[in-house]
Amino acid sequence: MILHILNRPPSTSLVYREALAAMGSTDRLLLIEDGVLGALTSQVRHFQQVGDRLFALREDLVARGLDGQCDASVQVVDVDGFVTLTEEADKTVSWF
Amino acid sequence: MTTPVPVEGDLLVILRHSPHGSSWLREGLDAALVAAAFGQSVTLLFMANGVLALAKGQQAGPLGQKGTAATMDMLAMYDIESLFVANDALAEFGLAQQDLMLPAAGLEAEAIAELMAGHRQILTF
Amino acid sequence: MRYGLLVKGAPYSSQAAHSALRFASALLARGHRLERVFFYHDGVFNAARLAAPPQDEPHLYDAWCALNAKHGTQLQVCIAAALRRGMLDAREADRHGKSGHCVEPPFELTGLGQLIDLGQEVDRLVTFAP
Repeated sequence: MILHILNRPPSTSLVYREALAAMGSTDRLLLIEDGVLGALTSQVRHFQQVGDRLFALREDLVARGLDGQCDASVQVVDVDGFVTLTEEADKTVSWF
Repeated sequence: MTTPVPVEGDLLVILRHSPHGSSWLREGLDAALVAAAFGQSVTLLFMANGVLALAKGQQAGPLGQKGTAATMDMLAMYDIESLFVANDALAEFGLAQQDLMLPAAGLEAEAIAELMAGHRQILTF
Repeated sequence: MRYGLLVKGAPYSSQAAHSALRFASALLARGHRLERVFFYHDGVFNAARLAAPPQDEPHLYDAWCALNAKHGTQLQVCIAAALRRGMLDAREADRHGKSGHCVEPPFELTGLGQLIDLGQEVDRLVTFAP
């Protein structure tokens, strides 16, 4: 299982499509930095195929005042959870 | 073109940026060459705008900036012969196999995950 | 586990260095070891010893140095990417006939081979890009 890390929002960048194209059926996707914009209820449709394997970094949501708008389908993790995700994955791949 | 069986190796370098516009492509190719010089088996995957690294007819820029075509020509010398190119990105730019400066196996999107799983290390540029 | 980080973003221009430092402290708090941070692309600017951010902002250069002092994390900078961008240590400044330098220990200029080596050495290599 690979942990994919995406720091671009689908609203302004198509990089998320590269990440989605590269994801295997058990791979996970973590949204960080501006990538967390994709976790909002109004944006999360772009990640529909990821299902329950979609994560977003809490502190990047909170810093942007967006934690209240994060979609319920997204698993929000703190930075400790970010480390845990890297522990559980065989390797990580960053998309930027 | 049919998708070949993805290979396995030590390092997969994924190149997603076109020549000249940024240093990502050059820096990714440099990492691939160094890894190969260190004896690692290296695979390159050109996807998104990165497929333009394979376009024929590239030249130096107006200030003499080299671009990456010369580096691409050095890949074989470093025994980097496992080159893959994303079919959807080729189509996006209206490119076909005969338009490429080096032979690269066309890869369907579904095979990318398999290629990634087969490599111990992945670097994206 | 043994971790390595690859930082490709310049300090203050993007969030990459902030994210990398946050991740570094979190992994260390969980008992992992951070062997090395490798700086590539515009990430080489993290090694600028003359960085003077306002006092009410995080001092990223000092934070990297603290990582080295407290945890022995090596701070390695790609020499090819650094020299192009004017990031020279004393030895390279002398070699190129320049009168000043902006890279000092604990940062060290090294070849790209060290990144490849890092990837083989550690259990997890995590990239932070602009």
